[in-house]
Amino acid sequence: MSLDLNFVFRVLVFPGFAFILLFTMFCDWVERKIEARMQNRMGPIYTGPVGVLQPLADFIKLLTKEDIVPFNAKNFVFRFAPIVSLSIFVFSFAFLPIDGASVVSGSNFEGDLILVLTLVSIANFLLFLSGWSSTNPYSAIGATRVLTQLLGYDIPLFILALAPAFLAGSLNIAAIANKQYVPFAFLIPWTFALFIINLQAELEKDPFDVPHAETEIVAGYETEYTGRRLAFLKLAKDVQMVLGAAIAVELFLGGPYGPIFYGLSAVWYTLWFVLKLLIVVVVTEYLTCIFARLRIDQVLVVNWKLLLPLALLSLAVTVGVGLWLNPL
Amino acid sequence: MASADKILKALSDSLGKRIIQTRTLQPGKSYIQVQTGAHKDAVRIVLQEDNEAGVSAITGVDLGETIELMYHIRTCDTIITIGAEVPKKDAKIESITDIFPGANFHEREVSDLFGVTFEGHPNPKRLILPEDWPENVFPLRKEVSVANIPSKIGNFGVSKDEKHVSSEERLVNIVLGPQHPALIEPEKFSLRVDGEIVRGVEPRIGYVHRGIEKAAESRTYLQDIYLVERICGICNACHAACFCQTVEAIMGVSVPPRARYLRTIILELNRIHSHMLLLGHAGLEIGYETLFHYMWRDRELIMDIMEALTGNRVIASFITIGGVRRDLKEEDVPKIKAELTKLKERLSFYKNLFESDSTLKMRTRNVGVLSKQDALKLGVVGPVARGSGVNMDVRRDEPYAAYNEIPFNVITYDEGDSWARLMVRLDEVGESVNIIQYALDHLPTGPYRVRVPRTVPTGEAIGRVEAPRGELFYYVKSNGTAYPERVKVRTPTFANILSFVHIAEGGNVADVPASFVSLDPCFSCTDR
Repeated sequence: MSLDLNFVFRVLVFPGFAFILLFTMFCDWVERKIEARMQNRMGPIYTGPVGVLQPLADFIKLLTKEDIVPFNAKNFVFRFAPIVSLSIFVFSFAFLPIDGASVVSGSNFEGDLILVLTLVSIANFLLFLSGWSSTNPYSAIGATRVLTQLLGYDIPLFILALAPAFLAGSLNIAAIANKQYVPFAFLIPWTFALFIINLQAELEKDPFDVPHAETEIVAGYETEYTGRRLAFLKLAKDVQMVLGAAIAVELFLGGPYGPIFYGLSAVWYTLWFVLKLLIVVVVTEYLTCIFARLRIDQVLVVNWKLLLPLALLSLAVTVGVGLWLNPL
Repeated sequence: MASADKILKALSDSLGKRIIQTRTLQPGKSYIQVQTGAHKDAVRIVLQEDNEAGVSAITGVDLGETIELMYHIRTCDTIITIGAEVPKKDAKIESITDIFPGANFHEREVSDLFGVTFEGHPNPKRLILPEDWPENVFPLRKEVSVANIPSKIGNFGVSKDEKHVSSEERLVNIVLGPQHPALIEPEKFSLRVDGEIVRGVEPRIGYVHRGIEKAAESRTYLQDIYLVERICGICNACHAACFCQTVEAIMGVSVPPRARYLRTIILELNRIHSHMLLLGHAGLEIGYETLFHYMWRDRELIMDIMEALTGNRVIASFITIGGVRRDLKEEDVPKIKAELTKLKERLSFYKNLFESDSTLKMRTRNVGVLSKQDALKLGVVGPVARGSGVNMDVRRDEPYAAYNEIPFNVITYDEGDSWARLMVRLDEVGESVNIIQYALDHLPTGPYRVRVPRTVPTGEAIGRVEAPRGELFYYVKSNGTAYPERVKVRTPTFANILSFVHIAEGGNVADVPASFVSLDPCFSCTDR
């Protein structure tokens, strides 16, 4: 079998590995800049034009730092959890149509929505393991908080993701995105709003950032990480943020398909995808800025007593009104 | 509310012959020396006569053969001092913690620094000095000179019997500090935790004890101003004002009116600075970063005014004995007024935010509740007391500087939770802005200082200032030279820290940072 150059390019450069990582760093910069401007600060300004290279500089700086593994830390899990977690998040992008087609042609199949959501849960579980294996009390508390929260928001997330699948009549992400002549965010805004709130919890952002509550448990599960492992752990979190936003784009905002395009469709698809994703990033960052952190027990109350029933209700309503919405 | 005269009459009626002498320290402040053993009855009578009274401080003074203990009791409008002497050889006295639990730390401090044993004290452990401090060296006794104070100490703050799992089953010890992200300064709190619920707190302070009271004795009064300013960076002007006021009271110097107004301005700037810093910090503790950044940005307005007024942004070095060191330039007044107007607009925004933001309220309402009875019992001061509905403010009760000429309101909230304590501070910032505006409008002309001699006549005096964190207490004793005989400082946090034990118990572990920060603890003040 000869080496297919197109295949290699798509996996490693665009829209695969390199594109995802660079785009992640760009999103990180956007996030930091928005948060800074909302909080009346400057944000990154020095590295590159308007500080756009700051996330890359931070990443490289962390790579050069000393790598310390605590004496008692369980070696295998502690060492490999960040990199495996990062790999899973990047791998999940293979099922999302970014430039109109999947990263590898034919990689998408009926049911890949469930696969992606499951992979995200597994990667989150790896974050728990990374903290748990650190043998540091702060890491341990942070890790248990990740797990406690994971149970609370994963179920509503699955339920909420079913609404677009129901409307599109498919469990294939590309098919769901393709079906949205009118983005589902406008057809079923209640589900979209709940999905965004749930995403805040998934991404450990305010008001649900209890695993990171600095003043209570230092850096949570990241506390014992240093050097390149910390770099990969942070990158994994950033890729997770972009992945979460990307899933929201595919399910609710019509994915890469936009109202205007002529000429080279792949360019327009990517442009629309990036624009929509940035909208989601701006919204999540806005929510982060306007809330205080809840307590872990209050987070659980929100998850189980508010989000879960509302998710079920919104699914029921979507199924109810689906008959009228479907012709659209 | 009972006036001082009535309390004094009650004291002389019931103690009778057990009173050795009664004298006046300075106008309005009486000193009643009683026989050793009668001090407890005396304190009890004062507390009974005035139900809002509390022990402000316990001062020890080395008199050579004996150690004089002074119980300074805060009543509605003055301080009544009960004195008792104990022999140095056999320094023992009955504890008053059973009639006033708030005296707990005061007695432990005297016990550490003077070697007086308080019989019946519930927890007579070390508080200020390290655990491995030599047994019979008591730093504030006169025979101990700076030269023979040990320079090396080892296991600071670690007692030998400390374990991570306490003897009671199901309870786990979580040690908060001395290094912890929720604590900016080093201090240790051992929490006994049952699941997520705190069952007990054991505070241990002294990690930043610098021996300032001892150091003040070997410096001149002028040098001491700069020394006491460094007790606390944030409320430095309050320390300087309080020290200078006390020394002025001994000397009988009266400060020119312009200096009194300028002092008021710098003291209120200090208060705004401190409160805004704390409110922003509280935002950070509950994960509200945006609030933190907003508050600290607006605090910059105050820093600019401080710079225009004193030449420095933080440590003002503005107040001196006899007045202030710099005059306010006329051309700066409109600039300062403009910045204050800007700050006032921002304050209405914050007030709205604190009253309406739901996540902020979820983290602070009904968290760390301190009832009025407990607040009085524990002798808390300042915004902590006012947040629990105790109506006290030294600025109104015993006016100093120009507070008797400037109208202002004392803010109180009855809820007693973290939210109320933060709201007291937020409203006080508004009052402070009004005070400064009034002072600028009514600034008298004339000299801004009088020259005073370097030596201070023999005497003693008490000074009180409402610092941002509450009542700041100074006692200065002079021996007629340029060096003070004794300088006693009781900082507001020292009076408030005991209440943390009370409000944390029965609460959630995740609420500890939020309720702790609402006390506005300052450990470099506490330890001195």
